Amino acid sequence: MTERSQDRTEHEETNAITSDVELVGDETTTNIVRAASFAALIGALSYVSFPNPVSPTPVTLQVLGIFLAGIFLGPIWGATACALYLVAGTLGAPVFAGGAAGFGVLLGPTGGYLLSMPFAAFAVGAIVHGGFAPSDPRARGLIRLVGAMVVGTVLIYAAGVAGMMATLDLGPTEAFLTGAVALAPAEVLKIAAAVGIVRSDAITAA
Amino acid sequence: MLTYEPGTSVAHRLDPRTKLAVQIGFALAAFSHTTPRGLSLLTVLTGVVLAAATLSPFDAVREIRYALPFLFAGPLLSAVVLGSPWIVPTEAIGPTLASYRALLVLLVSVAYVRTTPVRESRAAIQRVVPGRPGRLLGVGVALVFRFLPVLIADLSRARSALRARLGTERRLIDRMRIVTTTGVRRAFGRADRLEMALRARCFAWNPTLPALKLSHWDVPSLVLATGLVCWTFV
Repeated sequence: MTERSQDRTEHEETNAITSDVELVGDETTTNIVRAASFAALIGALSYVSFPNPVSPTPVTLQVLGIFLAGIFLGPIWGATACALYLVAGTLGAPVFAGGAAGFGVLLGPTGGYLLSMPFAAFAVGAIVHGGFAPSDPRARGLIRLVGAMVVGTVLIYAAGVAGMMATLDLGPTEAFLTGAVALAPAEVLKIAAAVGIVRSDAITAA
Repeated sequence: MLTYEPGTSVAHRLDPRTKLAVQIGFALAAFSHTTPRGLSLLTVLTGVVLAAATLSPFDAVREIRYALPFLFAGPLLSAVVLGSPWIVPTEAIGPTLASYRALLVLLVSVAYVRTTPVRESRAAIQRVVPGRPGRLLGVGVALVFRFLPVLIADLSRARSALRARLGTERRLIDRMRIVTTTGVRRAFGRADRLEMALRARCFAWNPTLPALKLSHWDVPSLVLATGLVCWTFV
C-alpha cells in the first residue's frame, strides 16, 4: 500500500467514526437559534394588545415582529423565523392570535395573514438590506426602511383578504371590510414604532 | 391558552402522523363538500374526534374564541346590501356554510393540539420532511416551544414596569416601541446565551428522538384519513 492510499484509508476511517455525530456549523447554530427566538418573540407579541385609537379592534404587535424579523435577521433567516413560527403553531405552540394553535388556524379566517408572513419578512429583509446578506439596518435610509415595511404590510393584507375570501366565501368588498379596514390603520403606528426601534442604540446584537 | 394536556384517551394513544393525516383529510373533505349534507356528516365526525380526545365541545369552542368574531362577521356582512331591501338572507347562505366549515376544521385541530406532546410532533415532522430541512424545522420548532414562555414573561414584566412608571400616559407609539425593544433585546440575549451553550455541548444535526410506532389503534384512523381524502375527489 502506498503512503498516499494509506492516508486516504485513515481519513475514511475517521470519517466513518465522526459521521455518527454530525455537528451543526457555528454560523448555522447562531442563525437557527436567533430565528427560533424571533419566532417565539412573534408568538409572544401576539399576547401584547393595546387599545386601538381609531378602531374597536385592539392592536397586537405580531406584524411588528414580522417587520423586525426581516430587518434584524435579513430576508433568508427572517423568513425562516416566520416559517418556524407557523410550523410551531401548527404543531401546538399557542402562538397564534388569542393563544390559538393547530393546523385548522392556517385554514381558518386568519390563515391568509399567517401564510403570507414568511413572504412579508423576506420582502422587508430583501428591500432593507438590498439583497440576501444582512447588513447594519441603522445605516439604511428612512425611506428604504419605511418603503420596505409598506410593501410588507400590503403583502400581508392582500393575502389576508384573499384568505378571507377563500375560507369564508366572501366577496372582495365584504372581505376588505372585515379583514383590512378595521385593522390596517394601526399598521402606520407599528411602522413608526419599528423605525424608532431600528434607529435607537438599544439593540446592538444584530 | 391551547396546549397539550397529558391523558389516556384514544387520541392520546394514536401516532402523531396518523393524527396529522386525519386533520389533512378532514380539511380537504370539508373544503370539497361545503354543502349542508357534507357538513352534517363532518359535524358527526367532529363529535367523534372530540370524544376520542375526551374533549367537550364547549371547551373546544372556548379554545378558538378568537376566531368567532370573524366567523360571525362574514355571513352578517354578506346579508347586508346597500339599498332596499337592505337585508338579503339568501346572500348569507354560502358564507354561513364556509364559516361553519372553518369552525369544524378548527375544532378538529384543537383535538390534535390537546392530545399530542411536542416531542412527538417534532419526531413526526423530522420523519415526514426528509434531510436537513426536516432537521432544521425539528430543532427550530423545539426551540420555539422553549423560548415562548420565557419571552411572554419578559414582555409581561416590561409592561408591568411601564405601568409602574406611569408609562400608560405616554403615546401609543412610544409604548409599542418600549415593550418591543425589550422583547427584541431579551430574544437576542437569550439566543446568544443558548447558542454559546449549544456550541459548547456539540450541537448536532442528529439528536435522539422518541421512536414512533403505529399501534392497532392507528389502523381505523388511517383508514378514515384515506377515506376522507378519497371522498374529496368524489
